[in-house]
Amino acid sequence: MISNRRLSSNTYCLRTERPNVVIRAGQCFSVGTRDLGINREYSMYSAANDEFIDFLIREIGDGIVSPRLGTCKPGDLVEIGGPYGDFCLPETRIADDVHVFIATGTGIAPFHSFVMSYPGLHYTLFHGVRHEDEMYDRNDYAKESYTVAVSDPADDRSGIRITETLRTTALDPRAFYYLCGNRLMITDAISILRDKGIPGGSIYTETFF
Amino acid sequence: MRIAISYPPIINKHGQKAMVSQNRNVQFFKKPTYLLPVIHAQAATSVRNLGHTVLWDDGNAQLKSYKDWLNDLVSWKPDIIVFESTTPVMKFYWSTSRQIKEILPTTTIIMTGYHSMRKPEETLEKSPIDVVLRSNNIDFVLKRLVEHMDGNPFWRMSCNIEGLTFRISDAEVRSTGNFVQVEPLDDTPLIDRNLVQWKNYAYENGNFLQTPGTYATSVIRDCMFGKCTFCRYNGPDLTFSMMSVHRSLDEYESLINEYGVKEIFDDSGVWYRGREAREFARGIIERGLHERNCYFGLNTRFEYLDEETIKLMAKANFRFVLLGFEAADDETLQRLNKGYQMEHVERCLTWMTKYGLHPHLTIMVGYHWQTKEQLELTVNTVRDLMFRGLARTLQVTICTPLDFTPYHQECINTGVLLTDDYDDHDMSKLIVKTPLPHEEYYQAIRSMYAISFHPRFLLRQVQFLFKFRKRDWQFLFTYGIRALRRVRQHVFNLTRNSER
Repeated sequence: MISNRRLSSNTYCLRTERPNVVIRAGQCFSVGTRDLGINREYSMYSAANDEFIDFLIREIGDGIVSPRLGTCKPGDLVEIGGPYGDFCLPETRIADDVHVFIATGTGIAPFHSFVMSYPGLHYTLFHGVRHEDEMYDRNDYAKESYTVAVSDPADDRSGIRITETLRTTALDPRAFYYLCGNRLMITDAISILRDKGIPGGSIYTETFF
Repeated sequence: MRIAISYPPIINKHGQKAMVSQNRNVQFFKKPTYLLPVIHAQAATSVRNLGHTVLWDDGNAQLKSYKDWLNDLVSWKPDIIVFESTTPVMKFYWSTSRQIKEILPTTTIIMTGYHSMRKPEETLEKSPIDVVLRSNNIDFVLKRLVEHMDGNPFWRMSCNIEGLTFRISDAEVRSTGNFVQVEPLDDTPLIDRNLVQWKNYAYENGNFLQTPGTYATSVIRDCMFGKCTFCRYNGPDLTFSMMSVHRSLDEYESLINEYGVKEIFDDSGVWYRGREAREFARGIIERGLHERNCYFGLNTRFEYLDEETIKLMAKANFRFVLLGFEAADDETLQRLNKGYQMEHVERCLTWMTKYGLHPHLTIMVGYHWQTKEQLELTVNTVRDLMFRGLARTLQVTICTPLDFTPYHQECINTGVLLTDDYDDHDMSKLIVKTPLPHEEYYQAIRSMYAISFHPRFLLRQVQFLFKFRKRDWQFLFTYGIRALRRVRQHVFNLTRNSER
């Protein structure tokens, strides 16, 4: 492990050395510590060609792996296996096609990896968070491309869910839609996309929890 | 409408019946295990709940001959027949559907399953089948389709339900595109056990130490890992969905109280892990179901359950744990995207054994790259785990590329596939080029099954008796006899193409 950067009260960015393998943005790794004997899958947060790998991890209250990884210090050994998965942008689509990324919480990780890996990518990112401090590394995204929905804001404003934002937004039927986050959001978001005429073949999902 | 969910008896030239096994791959056995097709059972329940008349028509589990099955089906005069496809029985289904259409030309035949969902046009071209359902969520899509078809003779012209490829006329086929399948599992019904005649599946199943046993409505559809290259639960269009813990607990309670079930197995690709696994085990204990003489079983991965969770599950009377141990060498694990390391295996099995669970290893041999060293490492590791009591039972299969999984596609792309005859994909023989003569892989299978007869393995089982757990006594004296019969059958099936 190289570093552990705290991003909010319950979220941190774990940086590890990079294994000597080909990695594509959007892929995930299984991550754990040697003493636990178990691991969990996390999408890569960093760019595909960075010399390190970042993981965006939310500590689960009664979880085992995420709190343990949160206590790791630089120099500690962590296990990472992978990369796995195909939640990636096809090379042929990167330059010209329009992409819409929809995430809740730390589900933004693969989209951060896309954005950092492919400068000039045409994208719109919808990010659903509970609190404002979950807009992780907000400045890494183009201002006009990032839309956030805060469901439980700190001030008196009423909250809004990402699905409500999607319902009231005009969506491009020619774009490719990538969804990552919790199951309920993905289920609801797919219904909304279908209602808005987005074909199923243009929707890709990565569900981890 | 009258809807038949049908599984014809498929019997090969050796007199063996096709059966679906773990991960729903077809194998042929003389004395089959009858496994309840869970998603189709939910689909049957779902369309029955819409008010349609449903025939649960499993000719295998109902011990019918093909002729009797066909006669019974056509005399029932279904409006719709639903089949489930997989690579080695595709030709059979194409031919059977031709036979049925000659007798029942107006019946709509719907093909489901992983093979046809990957190649829908092929099935429509080679058979008179009307619709290919391109989704593993058969219950959800079939319900929508049946609702659309009901009372609508022109449904083919107006149907826009996603995930279907269907015939509009003799010359024209229409696709409604890919089905993106994240469906909330709480929205589909639990299986109606009476509708699917659950007792037909309650006894002849090697996963049950006590009978009657049954399969639970799966809590996870597809797989939460979903990245292993040989597995069907893999692909950019597939993702997992999960049923709520309390709903599954309600079903377990009902199965024990109303049906007197003594063993429940959940055949989800991978069962709950982490918080949900602990919540489920606690729920079993809080409802007192752990004291009702019913064992529980599941599929999991080596790196998914920690010691605390395993301990809790043991307290909740979990017993049978099925783990995919595809190989012992890192190269193979990496090429399969399997995602565990050998140290996970040792640790996980140690915990399971410590708390009295019975780990069952499912091993594969015959990967197109598998060298002698890799094969020997797998055999020796399995032997070691079995002798030390860290695994209690095993099953070995030949790695057969199926249903256009990434491994299948890789075999096609690299030219190692030795046949393009779908009938050859029945897992009875190696059908890929390998670095070793095929005989060596068959010998490895024999060696691994022979472990069950080895004095060291038997002595270890006797040692377990001194833990004074009922399940260990049952294992040695009841299950042992059954298991030996099955081992003989497996060895015959998997090595009958061997020269020896």
